[in-house]
Amino acid sequence: MRTNRLRTFFQYGNIGYLFVLPAAVYMMALVGYPVVSNFILSFQDVTVATLSAIDKPFVGLRNYRTLLSDGVLRNSVINSFLFTVSCLVFQFVIGFALALFLNRRFSFAKPIRGLLMIPWMIPMTVTALMFKFMFSTNVGIVNQLLQLAGLVGQPVEWLLKPNLAMFSLVLANVWIGIPFNMILLSTGLTTIPTELYETASIDGASRAQAFFRITLPMLKPAIESVLILGFIYTFKVFDLVFVMTNGGPVNSTHLLSTYSYKLSFSLFKYSQGAATANILFAILFAVSIAYLCFVYDDLEATR
Amino acid sequence: MRRAAEANEKANALLCAAAVVVLAVIMFPIYWMAVTSFKTEIEIFRVPPTLFPKVLNTDSYAAQLRHGDFNMFGSFRNSFVISFAAMIISLLLAIPASYGIARFQFKGKRFFILSFLITQMLPVSVILTPMFIIFRDLHLLNKHVSAILADATIGIPFSILVLQSFFSSIPKELEDAARMDGCNRFLSFLLVFVPIAFPGIIVCAVFSFLYGWGDLAYGMTFLQDQAMRPITAGMFNFLGQYGTKWSYLTAFAVVTILPVTLIFLFMQKYIISGLTSGAVKG
Repeated sequence: MRTNRLRTFFQYGNIGYLFVLPAAVYMMALVGYPVVSNFILSFQDVTVATLSAIDKPFVGLRNYRTLLSDGVLRNSVINSFLFTVSCLVFQFVIGFALALFLNRRFSFAKPIRGLLMIPWMIPMTVTALMFKFMFSTNVGIVNQLLQLAGLVGQPVEWLLKPNLAMFSLVLANVWIGIPFNMILLSTGLTTIPTELYETASIDGASRAQAFFRITLPMLKPAIESVLILGFIYTFKVFDLVFVMTNGGPVNSTHLLSTYSYKLSFSLFKYSQGAATANILFAILFAVSIAYLCFVYDDLEATR
Repeated sequence: MRRAAEANEKANALLCAAAVVVLAVIMFPIYWMAVTSFKTEIEIFRVPPTLFPKVLNTDSYAAQLRHGDFNMFGSFRNSFVISFAAMIISLLLAIPASYGIARFQFKGKRFFILSFLITQMLPVSVILTPMFIIFRDLHLLNKHVSAILADATIGIPFSILVLQSFFSSIPKELEDAARMDGCNRFLSFLLVFVPIAFPGIIVCAVFSFLYGWGDLAYGMTFLQDQAMRPITAGMFNFLGQYGTKWSYLTAFAVVTILPVTLIFLFMQKYIISGLTSGAVKG
């Protein structure tokens, strides 16, 4: 009887559950459960002392209140936005320009577009090390070149001054982001039918007109997805900042991700670290939802 | 006619030259890292900087071969074990899951897809602390398996999203034909679908491996013992201890990107298709 019921259950589409189940259980255990447990953790007071205790003290919103009055946290929120927006602007503009350039037909276009993927594939730890070296005060090539050109007298302390350190981080991350923007936009460009441009040029449209009237509108979906994905990837960047400045000098370049790590694993304030991570997640979530609504409205409007 | 062809050729040459300049500028950091690893410490400090090492110095590599405590080849092996195992787990779980999502209609299917999408945007920070506590309670800290289990959580959602579009594009007639020949669902999955989706599987294998290879946060947090740590964490440690020994540090970095470069050379077309298909949907 029971086997019969099981058999009917799995007769049609429901057999799909059997295929999905192992992955779903795995992700539930290793991602779903930690997300929930991180949420709970942020309402408790867990430090090194209470980590092994069975009963972890519940403190309500205290961790969030502590963080609100924490100057470093406020600064990390601002930094996260500043870092993300600056990176997005530069990597989008440069990536778009490269996509347009490499979508023209010439012999090196394809291999070079392929090679430009490399910065995106390299582990971020290596990228961070590379830029840390180039921006280092005494041996960095950046200072050496600036001094040779006579632009600066004394070596610039790139990673030791808050604003300059932030600038160096943005530059390094833009370097990683360019290929990503370029490839997605170039794929978008190839979907635009060339006849459109031919007709436009017969009608006497200039290149600029063709760009603003054909390329940009046709590319809108690709641009939207590259920007929103870029936002998500950039807003949660961890490795790069952790290795290059580790939030320094004096906590001035912390992002939410690195500050959360510091709270949990250097200061062993696990609960405050968890709360910081939740703030990061909440912002990402809000932005993604806003984006989805925005896209949905667009769909409705065109209907 | 001939003039037009000549003009075309000229334009082509100009565009190629411009593209090479762009490539050189963007690739400069990698070049600079590589040449630095072959310079002596004295030459690294020289102003004006030398574009190519005056004396070829391979000591940065040899020294790390000799010294035990920061043995980069040991951490290289750790990274390989972790990334490879994470890749296998990702594939074993993602291939059937994506097939299930693509070929069957069942309740809650949209929920599964949505939750896999959300895990792709989840910051590591959100699950790092609880994972640390879980692995600590299970006594898995300082064992490779902790990093392996964690790294696979990045590869699985990516692979499912990429593969499900592969599986959906396979015509139903093929499945019916397999049915006629006496295949059940599981056999047709193994004998018909998996071989056809093979290019997609390679994409997922490459990306799952690279996710593991590039990971720093998990490897560094769960594996505290230097001898167990992956190469990224080893390099970070090295940076903390010998922060100004740039010849050694760059050599370490070069060794780290060696497999990435090899994968790129042989798998370039898979990487580009993976980036476009997976990322657009993620």
